[in-house]
Order: sequence, then C-alpha cells, then structure tokens
Amino acid sequence: MNRREFLTASAAVSLSPLLNACDTAPRWQRDAFVRPKISKVAILAAADYGKSLRDIIQRGIKQCDLTVHNARVLLKPNLVEFDPNGVINTHPAVIEAAVDAFKTLGAREVIVAEGPGHRRDNEYLLSASGLYDVIKEHRIRYVDLNNDDVRLTKLKSGFTGLKQLYLPETLYNADLLVSMPKLKTHHWAGVTLSLKNMFGIIPGSVYGWPKNALHWAGINGSIVDINSSLPLPRFAIVDGIVGMDGNGPLQGQAKKAGVLVFGADMVAVDATAARLMKIEPRKVKYLETAGEFLGNLEYQQIEQIGEPVERYQQDFRVIEAFADLKTIIG
Amino acid sequence: MLELAANLLLSNQNSDGGWGAVAGRRSNTEATALALLALRSAAADTTITDKAKDWLVKRQLADGSWPLNDSAKGPSWSTALAILALSGLAEERDRVVKAGSWVLEQAGGKPGLLARLIGFLRGQKKVVRLNQDLIGWPWTTDNFSWIEPTSYCLMALKKVQQQLPAEKVKERIAQAELMIYDRMCDDGGWNYGNSEVYGEKLWPYPDTTALALIATQDRRERQENQRSLRLLNDLALKADSGLALSWASICFTLYGKDDAALKKSLGQRFTKTQFLGENKALALAILAVGDGARYFQV
Repeated sequence: MNRREFLTASAAVSLSPLLNACDTAPRWQRDAFVRPKISKVAILAAADYGKSLRDIIQRGIKQCDLTVHNARVLLKPNLVEFDPNGVINTHPAVIEAAVDAFKTLGAREVIVAEGPGHRRDNEYLLSASGLYDVIKEHRIRYVDLNNDDVRLTKLKSGFTGLKQLYLPETLYNADLLVSMPKLKTHHWAGVTLSLKNMFGIIPGSVYGWPKNALHWAGINGSIVDINSSLPLPRFAIVDGIVGMDGNGPLQGQAKKAGVLVFGADMVAVDATAARLMKIEPRKVKYLETAGEFLGNLEYQQIEQIGEPVERYQQDFRVIEAFADLKTIIG
Repeated sequence: MLELAANLLLSNQNSDGGWGAVAGRRSNTEATALALLALRSAAADTTITDKAKDWLVKRQLADGSWPLNDSAKGPSWSTALAILALSGLAEERDRVVKAGSWVLEQAGGKPGLLARLIGFLRGQKKVVRLNQDLIGWPWTTDNFSWIEPTSYCLMALKKVQQQLPAEKVKERIAQAELMIYDRMCDDGGWNYGNSEVYGEKLWPYPDTTALALIATQDRRERQENQRSLRLLNDLALKADSGLALSWASICFTLYGKDDAALKKSLGQRFTKTQFLGENKALALAILAVGDGARYFQV
C-alpha cells in the first residue's frame, strides 16, 4: 500500500460512520420502479453512415417490440460541443435515419431536442455539426432544451440531495423520449451512453453551462436521479458506428465499432454498450446503482438479439482514473 | 437587416410584454432585458418598450434580484442583465441600486472540504488547471464561478459601483477580473471557464471571449485582452452565428476596432437562418448593427 492508498483508506474508515449515519433514508421510491425480468437489447451491424441506416434503425425498433403509432417522439442526440477533427456528437446521419424510421413506423410527430452542456450557441452547434441541414430538409421541429419552458419536478430517487429539478416542458408534451448517445468513454463518469446523455435535458438557463450544479451534487448520483424521474417512457439508440475512447467525451480518439444498439431498458442498453467497449458495467458507479432499481445490468437478465457482443467488441481505452473499469468480472 | 430583425423581434413579443427564448415560449428576464435594450437602441415605439420595462419591473423580487421567468421564481443570474437594461433610466435608479447590492452579495462557491480532501487523496489537483480560490459569480447560488455570469455581473457592478460600498465593490471587481484572467485559454480567449482538463487544452468560444473582453474593457491595455481581441474576429467569423457575430461586433465597437466583416457576416447569417428565431440573438444583432454597444460600456 502506497501513501496515497493508505491516506484514502484512512479517510474512508474515519468518514464511514458519518456517511453510514446519513444513509438511512430510502434512496428511491420502492413502489415506483419495477425492473423487467428480462430486457431485450438489439445489436445491429452498421458499417458506416450510409443510406442503409434507416432500414437498420427500423429493424432495431421492431426487434425491440417498440410501437410508435400516433406517438409524438422526442429524439435526444448527444450534441455537446463541436471539434472538426473529433467525433464528439451523435452523427447527423443517424438522427436523420431515426427521423425517417419513426415517421415510417407511424409516429405522429418527430422532434429533435437537445440542451448542449458547454455551448450556449445553438445556431453554431447545429450548423457545424450538420444537424441544421437535417432539420431544415425534413422540416423537423428542434427544441433548445436549455431555454425551454421549465417545470419543477420532484425526484423519485435521492442519490444527490437535490430532491427536485427543473425539467423542460417539452418532455411533458411527448409520448416517447429516445436517447441517442454516442458510444464514448467519459473522463468524469467512465462511460457516457444513454443514461448519461440525459444530462443534456437539464436546462442550462437554470443550471448553467457547464451543468456544474449537477457535477457538484455528484455526477453519478445526478445521472441516476435524472433518469429515475423522467416523466415519459424511453428508448435508446446508441451510435456505435464510430465511437470515442481515451479522454472522452470531447478529446478522445475515434474508435470504430460498426454497430447500433437498441433497447427500451436504458440500463441494459448501456450495460451492453459498455461490454462492447470491453468495459465492466458493474464497475461504472452510476450503472451499478441504476442496475439496483432502474433496469437490468446482469448479462443473464438481458435477452441479446441481433449480433453477439463478442463479434463487435473493441478495446476502448480509458483514462488512468478509470483503469479499474477494464477489469471484467465475468 | 436591422429593420427586418427588429420587426421579427417585435412580432415575437408576448402579450405580457416580455420575450421568451423563441416565439411562443414563456417570457424570461434574459430575453426581455436584451430585447428592451435592442428596441430602445432602435427607437421603437415607447408603448412597446414601456410594456417590456413593466414586465421587468413587476418581476423584481423583494431582495432586489430577478427570477429567470415565471416558472423558476427564485433569484437568478439574469439579475445582472436586468440591471443593464434598466441602468440608463433615471426613474429606475433605486431599483437598479438594490439589484446591484444583491449582485454584490452573491459569490461563486468553492468545492467543500470533503471534496477537496478526496480530490487531493485521489490526486485530482491536476485534473483541471484553474485557481479555485478566485471567486466570481455562479449560474446558481453558491455554485462555482464561470465566465458568462461573472462577465454579466462585472458589467452590472461597474455600471452601478458609484452607488455601492466602494471598498467591497473594488475588492469584488478586482478578484473577479483575476478569476477571468486565470481561466483564459493558453492562446487567448475563453470558453465557459476551463482552459484545461487532464492536460488537454480546451478551446475558446467567440461569445464568452467577447463577454469577458466587454466586462474587462477598462483593462484593455492588458496583454490578455489584446491577445484575446486578436483572436475574436476569426473565432466569430468561423462560428458564423447570430450570437457569436453580435457579441464580437459589440466588443469590437467598444474597443474601437473595425467590425465591418463581422457586420457583413451578421447580415448574411440573418438572411440564411434568422438566427433560428432566437430572441436573444435577434436583440443582440440589433444592438450590434445599431448603436447598442453603448449599453455595455462601463
């Protein structure tokens, strides 16, 4: 044991009675969550951002038994920042294909909405990322969630002490929220996938840029509290065609994985996506917590359809602070 | 462009006299304050600007601050913008001074002792490169200081400092300026307020760079200002958005620099996107193209 490990262990021992004493309250509303016995997750091969994406996405939605007839569908991509040499954001071709797919499957309306975490400048981000052209061509309504009208919402779990959060009104007027993250590592949270992507719905006008109030409240707890308290059903489509490893979510390297991942249980989707990155989901703190009540984390509780994880697994590097995530439990 | 943008902004005014982020959204303090300044600079009909002013006046809270809007009713960072919007109006002097006193009492927080201890033990001191002890203003009460709210509050305080306790104002302004310079990116300019994470340099944004420069316009001789000013033109032209071009143009006017290229791009951009109908960007463009930079002079 080196000095740092000794000090960390000493601090943990000395603080543990205090922390345990504070830990008596139930952390989530027990009657508000029922985990499915089995969660279906589809991994579909997608070699590139070409024209076949619409069909692949339609297939993924159908294979997960999702019906969207007459629904107002809210697509929430990951659009946080732009770097012409990077792969930070959900590719606009995936968003465009999802718009097409949901419309073809009978959605009443498809809306794209995001609240970028770093930039206030929507016009720049939309234009630079290529999303503006998609929205314009398809005449899609785009909602800037950072500046949407807000509604104070009581949290259904208590991993931050926040108790309540302002959420965008647009969430309350949709029937389905589709989280569309990029397959990325994250230097604060380990990985950023469909659950972490929900940071983007928190309005910057209330919580600022970056959404630091959530980081101060605890990034892992915030991810869980937000996801436990969203007022509408969800689905996830992960853009893993080209992901990012290393110092994500902004400055990592492009990493091709060649897949899209689908599912209605976002915990199961993220666990599967982590396994695709050769990252142990049970060691990602917020996933481990979410797996206790929000969804299924264990391999045995996930019905894997489409491609097997092993065929598309890639070794996504993580920063040193998260080296432990690469130790697969089994 | 000026007339078209002004007409669009006017058509987006809510029946309560204020403006939301875009047409159809609930009125908020930020958009209403900037729209009021824009329409004053464009010499709009006083019945319209009076309605906007009334919206603001009626929303001031007992402690002097302004809320974000009628849903998020607590004190907010947008108080500084309300001060800028009302500070030139003699009849609102007391209101503005009260708000200035509120701003003076707000301060960015620091990570708690436990967080610092854990951070130290985990070797997290090297994760970001900034001085956490330098305090500016946060987006939310007691949270960390960031460039944009600090810039707005600096502008507001510098506007009303004569009516506030001199020593305290001087101290807050000095420290906030130090915080701004501490957060500058290596080659100049600012992003939201963090220049480096895990040894990787982060890049500057045009809007926050312009805001930091406007807030420190009375320190224009400093090499940080001059270096950042040299970047701003390119940053804004590359971003090519209503927000970036407008803030940069306002900044250039205040620094006495030629902003012809910025204004030209602003007009072209308006024709192409109408700034996505964002009232804040419309208002800033009107201020930039007209003589609205004077409202940000400190």
